[in-house]
Amino acid sequence: ANWRYAHEEYEGDVQDVYAYKFKEYIEENSDHTLQVFRFGELGESDDIMEQTQAGILNFVNQSPGFTGALIPEAQIFFIPYLMPTDMETVVEFFRTSEAINENFPKLYADKGLELLKMYPEGEMVVTVDEPVTKPADFNNKKIRVMTNPLLSETYSAFGATPTPLPWGEVYGALQTNMIQGQENPIFWIESGGLYEVSPNLVFTKHGWFTTAMMANKSFYDGLSDEDKKLVQDAADFAFEEIIEHIDGLADESLAKIQEKSDDVTVTRLSDEQIEAFKERAPQVEEKFIEMTGDTGKELLNQFKEDLKEVQSE
Amino acid sequence: MSENSPDIEDDTGSYESGLPGFLGTIDTWIAKVEAVMLALGVILMAVNTCVNVVARYVFGEGLFFSGEINRILIILITFAGIGYAARHGRHIRMSAVYDALPTKARKVLMIFIALFTSAVMFFLCYYAYQYIETLYGRGRILPALGIEIWMIYIWAPIGFAITGIQYLLTAIKNLTSKDVYLSTGVKDGYSDTESEVL
Amino acid sequence: MATIMMLIMIGLLLLGFPMMVPLIAGAIYGFVMMFDGLGQMGTFIQQMMGGIRPASLIAVPMFILAADIMTRGQSADRLINMVMAFIGHVKGGLAISTATSCTLFGAVSGSTQATVVAVGSPLRPKMLKAGYSDPFTLALIINASDIAFLIPPSIGMIIYGVISETSIAELFIAGIGPGILILFMFSIYCLIYAYKNDVPTEERASWGQRAVAVRDAIWPLFFPVIIVGGIYGGIFSPTEAAAVCVLYAFLLEFVVFRSLKLADVYKIAKSTGLITAVVFILVAVGNGFSWIISFAQIPQAILSAVGVNEAGPVGVLIAICIAFFIACMFVDPIVVILVLTPIFAPAIQATGLDPVLVGVLITLQVAIGSATPPFGCDIFTAIAIFKRPYLEVIRGTPPFIIMLVAAAGLIIAFPDIALFLRDVAFRD
Ligand code: NA
Ligand code: NA
Repeated sequence: ANWRYAHEEYEGDVQDVYAYKFKEYIEENSDHTLQVFRFGELGESDDIMEQTQAGILNFVNQSPGFTGALIPEAQIFFIPYLMPTDMETVVEFFRTSEAINENFPKLYADKGLELLKMYPEGEMVVTVDEPVTKPADFNNKKIRVMTNPLLSETYSAFGATPTPLPWGEVYGALQTNMIQGQENPIFWIESGGLYEVSPNLVFTKHGWFTTAMMANKSFYDGLSDEDKKLVQDAADFAFEEIIEHIDGLADESLAKIQEKSDDVTVTRLSDEQIEAFKERAPQVEEKFIEMTGDTGKELLNQFKEDLKEVQSE
Repeated sequence: MSENSPDIEDDTGSYESGLPGFLGTIDTWIAKVEAVMLALGVILMAVNTCVNVVARYVFGEGLFFSGEINRILIILITFAGIGYAARHGRHIRMSAVYDALPTKARKVLMIFIALFTSAVMFFLCYYAYQYIETLYGRGRILPALGIEIWMIYIWAPIGFAITGIQYLLTAIKNLTSKDVYLSTGVKDGYSDTESEVL
Repeated sequence: MATIMMLIMIGLLLLGFPMMVPLIAGAIYGFVMMFDGLGQMGTFIQQMMGGIRPASLIAVPMFILAADIMTRGQSADRLINMVMAFIGHVKGGLAISTATSCTLFGAVSGSTQATVVAVGSPLRPKMLKAGYSDPFTLALIINASDIAFLIPPSIGMIIYGVISETSIAELFIAGIGPGILILFMFSIYCLIYAYKNDVPTEERASWGQRAVAVRDAIWPLFFPVIIVGGIYGGIFSPTEAAAVCVLYAFLLEFVVFRSLKLADVYKIAKSTGLITAVVFILVAVGNGFSWIISFAQIPQAILSAVGVNEAGPVGVLIAICIAFFIACMFVDPIVVILVLTPIFAPAIQATGLDPVLVGVLITLQVAIGSATPPFGCDIFTAIAIFKRPYLEVIRGTPPFIIMLVAAAGLIIAFPDIALFLRDVAFRD
């Protein structure tokens, strides 16, 4: 059969690489074909999600941040310092976490979706008009956020003024100092040229940009056992490939940025400096529980347990 | 226009319903509501955006929901406006071939155009309603305002229905009168009422 | 499937259906073919609503509203008077003033039709009285108003920017160079025309009169200053600039000039709302239409059948220019941008063309096409506004079309005409 798969990023970005690895495995190991649609081809993130729910698309990649309106609990990834800070532990976390591998699939299933894989795209890096090392440095700084209450809460907690702005206006707004900063994985800061207008990179280690790949549930349930295994194996194959891909990606992107611009500064917060930011996290957790109720609370506790487990190893 | 006339030309000022009696009163009333929605929608959009700019520049913090309000207003203006444009025969069309036809043929063609367009509008009205039902079930919300999205989409089926009725009335008007009508109130031809000012 | 979709669209279009109907009918046919029935029509509605979702779309009603307030008030006339005071007296000065006024008014107005009304209404009688022929006058007004489409703000660029995800601020700044180039070409033609037909010149204004004209126009002249200053000063975004324009136009006409009454706001806003709705419903159905052609992967099929993939950047640019130019001879520019941009998007991406350059060329092409017989919509606007017969309106256009096509060729050959200012402003 011909299957259709849509994601939210452009050619060559992490989700696109994942999609094409998935396609490669499917097409090499079966007679099925897979058509990949990139950002904008079939609409925005919410649109492709609805089209998957309607069964027009078989597979979709949507980041939990965008899923917030559908599955509020998915916004948990916006809570700062909930995830490990170094790459190796993060990967381990995604492999072993009960929250990710057991709790989330249930939440997605309630919405008619078969969660196939959650994977990290990259560490969130803040770019600001001057280097930031403590919450007080964020005072009176307008930091662009996606229109999401929880993400706004995070930056309020850090002491900044969260300013929601459509992605298309971010570059211009940084250039004209309408806003003083924004956050994104480093490969986006590189490909979007954001460092040109916001040259001070701060590695706050407060979170990882996470994304999720899923299938329409009734489509998936209707597959033969053989095809189900094929889909699962393809998702696993693409996951391993993507881990390798993002491993070098952050350093590569940073090197490219530093080569292109002399104005760029890199600030990596020390453990001590991180503590000052970490102290502000409970405020965001409260907001999350307020928004999601008991299921959110349960999920949050599971996350913390999982985190302890990977860190104790 | 440029003569600085103290009275602003308003080519959609008056509207007479093609419906008789009580229904006509309702229709005229709907037309008035549409006009108010159009004007208020545009004014509120300007005010909302300017207030956001001032709030951000003077007080350092913009309105969190400003973008979502504009999104609501765009939908409001679009769907209040399509019915209003149908009433006044103002939808954009390529009329060159049509204009070259003799009156009789134009009349027949206009009846066909109006009926077909009306059918298409009712078709979209039905599917817009169905789509809203689906959205209602999924519970998607506007993140900043917390309003459910289906609520702001409700204008779509209403706008399609009103537009469909207008085109249906136009067909009836053409069937029952001597002249060719672009809408219930606008006669075909290069008259002032048809000219697209601006 | 693609062929039948196109036939349905062209058929209904030529019969004189409201333009949304051919798009909807074509899309419905596509959905039925793709999904064996009407089961997925919900996605068409979803995409319609998605089409009018982008925040930057509010710039369309805002720029129309600001231009309408200024046209019905005094700002437009004051700008024209100032231009006349300075160049009215040179050979062909009245014609050159008309072109210059279109350019200047273009700096505050987003639409060509608004410019035709604002500049054409007062200046056409003057030109006729001075001895310019009506076909020349009409052609000049129609085509010079195209400059308003290129000079920021521009509705065409906003729509292109929204659907191609290109920076509207960059598009705006890239339109200035080509706009001035065309003004220059038109001015030379006006000069030649005036010498050949020995058109008398206007009386030279004294420096005193000029000072008065400048003083009168100083407030409206602040428009571009406020827009540019506000955007580069970080006070507001290009989208928000449109609303600030409305605020400024309102203050000028109601407080400073006192040329309009508060009650007029309602009528002007209603008229703006009506035009906006007529445009936005097309944006909405256009988005639904392009979803189904994208889902069926029709653009890829068409482009490879035509061989665009092997044509290289310049070949793709020329193909784009021809397609947009011809389409706009028949269909409203906004519809053309909505339908054709997504079709060419894969080729633009594959060849690595600068989307800003493509946007400027597309804007120019739709402006030329819409002034070109047989069915360019500007021609019908002029017929409606000036009440002149078809043949008289189109008789003077060929030289202008030739100049505009030459301008397009120059921009393809020397992209810096468009990109130089953009690079200075954004890529330093
Ligand atoms: Na303009
Ligand atoms: Na034009």
